[in-house]
Formats: sequence, structure tokens, C-alpha cells
Amino acid sequence: MGPGPIFFGPDKRTKMKKTGQEEIRVLLGNVAIARGIVEAGCHVVTSYPGTPSSEIVPAVVEFKKELGLNTYIEWSANEKVAYDNALAASLTGKRAAVAMKQVGLNVASDSLMSSAYTGVIGGLVIISCDDPGPHSSQTEQDSRFFAMFAKVPAFDPSTPQEAKEMIKEAFELSEMFQIPVVLRPTIRVSHAKQSVKLAPLKVLDREANFEKNPERWAATPKYRLVLHKKLNETLQKISERFEKDTKWNYEVGKSISASLGIITCSVSFANLMDILDELNLKSEINVLKIGTPYPLPQKRIADFIDRHKKVLIIEETDSVIESQIIDKSKVLGRLTGHIPLAGELSPDGIHNILAEVLRELGIANLEKITDSKLDKLIEKLNLQVRKPTLCAGCPERAAFFAIKKALPKAIYASDIGCYTLGLNLKAVDTVLDMGAGITLASGFYQAYHQDKKDIPIVATMGDSTFYHSGTASLLNAVYNNARFILVILDNEITAMTGMQPTPGLGITADGSKGKIIPLKELIKGCGVKWIKTIDPYEVKNLVKLLKEAKEYSQRKDGGIAAIIARHPCIIRFPEVCEENPVKVEITDDCNGCNYCLDFFECPALYPDEERNIVEIDRNFCVDCGVCIDACPKGAIIPMEKKNKAPL
Amino acid sequence: MRLQIILAGIGGQGILFSSKVFSELGLKMGLDIMGSETHGMSQRGGSVIAHLKLGKFQSPLIRNGAADILYSFEENETYNTLKFLKGGGICFVNLESVDQFNKRIMKVLKEKEIALRAFDATGAASKIGSIRSANIVLIGYSVGTGLVAIKYEDLKYVLELVSREKDLKINLKALELGFQEGKRTSKNPGKSL
Ligand code: SF4
Ligand code: SF4
Repeated sequence: MGPGPIFFGPDKRTKMKKTGQEEIRVLLGNVAIARGIVEAGCHVVTSYPGTPSSEIVPAVVEFKKELGLNTYIEWSANEKVAYDNALAASLTGKRAAVAMKQVGLNVASDSLMSSAYTGVIGGLVIISCDDPGPHSSQTEQDSRFFAMFAKVPAFDPSTPQEAKEMIKEAFELSEMFQIPVVLRPTIRVSHAKQSVKLAPLKVLDREANFEKNPERWAATPKYRLVLHKKLNETLQKISERFEKDTKWNYEVGKSISASLGIITCSVSFANLMDILDELNLKSEINVLKIGTPYPLPQKRIADFIDRHKKVLIIEETDSVIESQIIDKSKVLGRLTGHIPLAGELSPDGIHNILAEVLRELGIANLEKITDSKLDKLIEKLNLQVRKPTLCAGCPERAAFFAIKKALPKAIYASDIGCYTLGLNLKAVDTVLDMGAGITLASGFYQAYHQDKKDIPIVATMGDSTFYHSGTASLLNAVYNNARFILVILDNEITAMTGMQPTPGLGITADGSKGKIIPLKELIKGCGVKWIKTIDPYEVKNLVKLLKEAKEYSQRKDGGIAAIIARHPCIIRFPEVCEENPVKVEITDDCNGCNYCLDFFECPALYPDEERNIVEIDRNFCVDCGVCIDACPKGAIIPMEKKNKAPL
Repeated sequence: MRLQIILAGIGGQGILFSSKVFSELGLKMGLDIMGSETHGMSQRGGSVIAHLKLGKFQSPLIRNGAADILYSFEENETYNTLKFLKGGGICFVNLESVDQFNKRIMKVLKEKEIALRAFDATGAASKIGSIRSANIVLIGYSVGTGLVAIKYEDLKYVLELVSREKDLKINLKALELGFQEGKRTSKNPGKSL
């Protein structure tokens, strides 16, 4: 048995050993980042959850409790909101950190670009966690490019320990040069685990003190040009500092005989070092580790390239270092086709890149890693890949099943969250980015309506996603006369990323009370006139309601029809199912048609191939009883019904 | 000392908790810890895998053919993660019997001198009324067999440290049960490789 879905940090030891000085703890990368934030004496922390960044804020909350700190911590409605709230704290002289996943930075980019010009007062650090792979994201974008785009410095850690130290340096740098600073951990740092040395906390007593300076904080375009020039000067100074720095930028191995040099960063550095160790290649290859990819320490790089016949650049995810290098004549990397243009650089991947380059340069003959006999055998087993699926008893499954049933021909515009897995039920046609469920639905409507065709369109969106970016999309749709059915999948939590509270729950990041923002009022406020709330477990009623909704959305005086399908996430709130269990069983009427497996796919249902029927795995079943409505033969029934029958 | 461990299974089987157990164990043994975990979408019933490296390492990932021990809590995930084991490594799989294992793959494992130990940890865990404790049962089993260099007392200490209060009793029970089973089968190894 393990702890709940959120998994990190402090444990009972903290009771035994208070705020250890030279204490060592095994920390998840994101928890180490949280610790760095706390050690830096940061006053304000804001964030919107998203893999691989979600564990940072809960860990700050834990440290706050453990150490009795006065940190203000918020789960913000979205990343831009988080950014601005953190920035404001910085303008009052406090230290602030804002954390998000890499695509979250797209949402916050407007603020990032502008604040790069206006600058900061108290240290402001942006933690943007990248996801090469991608494991849990819609793109593999490299946040370091965003730092470069905005012209703010970036740090790129290789390990949790280094991430923690870099945060502290980032705060110092930010204050010294009055500029926002980006820390870019990749998923292999955020979700790495390491024994990390803790350090004492910095105590910074700072009272909020916003000094008015409209020329700067409300700069007009004319003055923006002045700010831009200043920013360039600041960057020049920072780059001089990075040139001299040996803590984040350093060489490993100074073999004069080495003809190949490698410039690398992030977790690729860690992977490479273990490989060079293993293959005993340290005298053949020198390595320059770069922890500050922007602004790039150009002189150091040029000097390193100068001392080698060829230099290979190994960096994730894109070519940020490589593209900044001025003289590329000796450089091998993505631009020369030596490094893949997409995907994560695994240790085996790096091994093979190395083998190729060493062979090309005639330095060594390193065997490439190919599929072994075992790999081939296992491939032949044709194992079904276990794709993620909605949990047994998940209310979203019930909702999707009803939607498919009521409106089988509709276009299903969906969004980002657990409910993206509605894909498996074929009730999700589009997933673009946060909030696009509604915008794509209204766009689809307009495109068809222009041709005088009104087809059914269903937008599905989770509650947290709706709070994140649903309102602007919805009021726009209402305003422009779009018509579709909006189903808000309200499980009262941000489930996918680890159960963060939403504004609908009225609990803030550290568990204290916040104001509840009722979904229904919000939807009403966007101008929607037809709003119904229902428990999706009542599949039959939901099917009926969906048909009514369709009718309303196509009526002359109708409009957008909104259904709030509300049922708590059964993982976060297991007690809800335990209160009213509906134990089901499968009767002899089951003829093994597999309809429930194919169109309902509850993981607790499995085919008994020998007997050609479907069975229930009691280890997974949570007694939600929803499958009763999923079987077209009526072969799934509540248990007590049968027991009562003989009476 | 350097020890590389892979923990494999599917979301909900307590892989991350097991990873925490081993990392605290390493810490207690005075070793550096480095590793990697799956968080996010896969936790919804997808493959979850944890890499754990005790001793001096820089990379958080275990390379193919480098792991000393593989704990697999689900049969199919075993096939997918066997590649991590080194020649001479050992795999503990949550499975009723090795007879259920694919014969041709068993042959390859034998060539590589990889030992395979199957134990129905889920079955055992359900006997004590806590199927979710199968992870601890399997770990206890591995220590019971005497095939891994981990002391029962250390494991117990760590469980006491990291378990939530309400889980502690059942976790210790699961550990004891697995350990005794491991001890029993090692006296009477029956079928393994
Ligand atoms: S975590 Fe909650 S919302 Fe997500 S799939 Fe499971 S039950 Fe559904
Ligand atoms: S009652 Fe039916 S739908 Fe609910 S968890 Fe059990 S098998 Fe799945």
C-alpha cells in the first residue's frame, strides 16, 4: 500500500530531526526545486499544475508547514495569472517563483516578454519544466528558446541537487540585474530522485514596498525602446559573468590528446558522464558542461572548440546552444544531422550517437546498441501495450458513454485532463491545448453554419480546464451566436496532475479556505441561458438530457446548451463510492459480445475467453454500478436484485 | 557498492512507494541515491517504471543490460522490462508460477544466467485482506530468499519510517508474510531457474 497520488517530500523523520543543517534526504527533482525555493528565502510561489512540474507547489506547502514559514503559495487559475501574481510580488521587493510545464509558458509568454523589458525588483524565477519525449505533453518545445526569445537568462540543471543550487543562484542573479530568470529542468530532472544535501534557509525580512515609477512599470512604446536597449546591456553584463563562472559551466577532462570535445547540458550531461565512465573513453573525449545556455558564454565555447578537432553538441530538446555558436565549422550536432531532431536523448541513444561520431572520426570502434535476441522475442509476443485508461468507476467514463449513446454522429471537441482518455471510448475527436474544447467547437459550428449545415457538436471540458481558459472562449462563442453542447466534466478536482484543488472547491494550495466560484454562475455569466446539472452516473437520464440539449441548441430561439456533469473523482474522493456501493454481477445472459469492453472499457471488466463471457475483477471494481447501463443485453445487474427476486 | 534496481508494474500498484522504500534503504546503507520515476498520465493504469541506482552514479536512468534486480508486479510489464537486467541478474515477478512464463524467453534468460523467481504476491496479499500490499509482499519475499543483499531489519525500519500511519500495520504484516514465504521457498527452491 502506498501514499495517495501526490508523492513527495518530508516524512516522519522531520519530527525526529528539526530543520536539519547538513541533512541529506532523497528528493524528487521537483521537491529539490521546492527546497531551493525555500532555501532562497522566497516569499511568494505561484503555479498552475502540469506534468512534469506539478509536484513543486505541494512540496513548497510541505516545507512551509515543516519549517513554519510565512510563504504565500497559490494554485492560480492559469499560468499567465500565476506569472502576473508572482511578478507583482517581485515589484514590491519580494522574492517570487512561478512554476509551470513548458506549454504553460506559452500561456504566460505575453507577461514574460513584456516583463523582460520592464524588469523586476525582488528576484523572480520562472521554472518551466520541459518534456522531451514527450511523455505527457502536446509538444516537445524547448523552454530555453523562450528565454532566448524573451532575452532573459536561463539555467539548465543536470540533477535535482544542481537544480536546487541553481534556483538560489537564479534569485541572486535576478536581483542583481533586475531581470526575470528562467530555470529549465527537463522531466528527467523533475522526476529524477537523488540523495540531496539540504542547506540552511536564507531569511529575508522584506515588507511589501511598491515604488511608483510609471515610466518603467507602465512604459509607453517610446520608452520601451530605451528599456530594450537597457536589456541588451544587461544581457551583455550577464554574459560576461557567465564567461567567468566555473560553477555551472566547467570542463571535465583536460586530455591534450583528445581530438573530440563534447559540449552538453541538462540530463544529457549526466547520461554522457556515466557512459564515458563505463566505456573508459575519458582520455579520448573532453567534455564542456554548460549550465547557462543563455546568454551563452561564447568565449569559453570558442576556446573549447579551438582546442579540439571536432566538437559534438549534445543537448535536449532543441538546438539552443548549437544555434548560438558563431563559428560552426568544427561543430557536429542537430544541424549536421548527427543528433535526432525529435524525441528524448536516452542513454542508449547517446551511446549510438557517440558510436557513429567516433567511427566517422576514426577515433574508436564502438559497437552500436541494437535489438538483442531478447528484444526480438519479446516483440514477437505482441504484448498489448498498456495504454492509460480512465479509472474503474471514473465519472468521466459514464459521461462519455452517454454522449456516444445520445449523439453518436456528433463532432467531439475535447480538452486536456484525465478525460483526454475519452479517446479510448472514441468520444474525443480533438485535443489541441488548454481551453480549445470550446473554441474548436464554436469554430466548427461557424464553419458548418456558413454552409447552412447544423451538425451536432459536443465540447467536453474538465472543471479545472474551464477555470483555466474556458470563460473567454465561451463568452466569445455566445457573443458570436455559436451553437453546440458543452459538457463540463466536473470531478471537483484537477485529477490528472495529482489532485490539485480548483476554484470550484474553495480550498487554496496550502489547504486553507478560499472563496468558491460556482461553475454554474460562471457559465451563466458567460451568457449561456440553458444550464443543467446532473450526476453522470445516472447514464440514462444523462442520455435524455443530452438529447434535450441538442434540441435546444438547434431550436430557433435556442443557443449553447451547457450540462455540468458533476461527480467527484473516485480516486480523490473514494468515500463517495463507498457510501452507496452498487455491487454488480454478470448473469447468464452475457453472451460474450464484448460490447461493454469495447465501448465502455472499465478496467474492472475482462473477457473470460474460455467461457466466452465477461467477468468482473473485484480487485479493481469500485462498485459504482454504472456498467449496468452499459450492457445492451441487460446481463449486468445489481446483486441485491437477484437476491430479492425469489421473495 | 553499486546496485541498480528496476521496479515495474502498472499505475496503482505502488511502484512509487516501493521506490521510496528502496531509496530510503540505500540512504540507511550510507549510499548515494539516483533514480527516476514515472509521474503523470501513465499513473492512470498505464506502465509505471522506477529506476533506482544506489552508489555513485550521475545518470538517473538504468541502461539496458545493467540492472542487478528487477521487481515486476505484473506479468506483461516483466517482458517489457527484462531487457534492463544484466547477465547474472535476478527477476522477482508477481506470478503464480514460473511455468506460466514464456518458455522461449526463459531459455534466453537461462543463457544469460538470469534467475527468475515467481511468487503470487497478489494472492498472498489478498489473504491478509490488502491486495494493494502486493508490492511489499514481493519485496519481503525477495529478502526472504536470501538472494538480495538486504536485511529484513533494515527493511522493517524503512517501512516504519515511510508508511502512512494507517498503512503501517498492514505493510509490516505484508513484509513478514512475504519474507516467510521467501525463506520457505529458498529452503525448498522447487522450480526456479
Ligand atoms: S483520477 Fe479521477 S478523474 Fe482521473 S480517471 Fe481516475 S477517477 Fe477519473
Ligand atoms: S461496477 Fe461496473 S463500471 Fe463500476 S467499477 Fe465495477 S465493473 Fe466497473
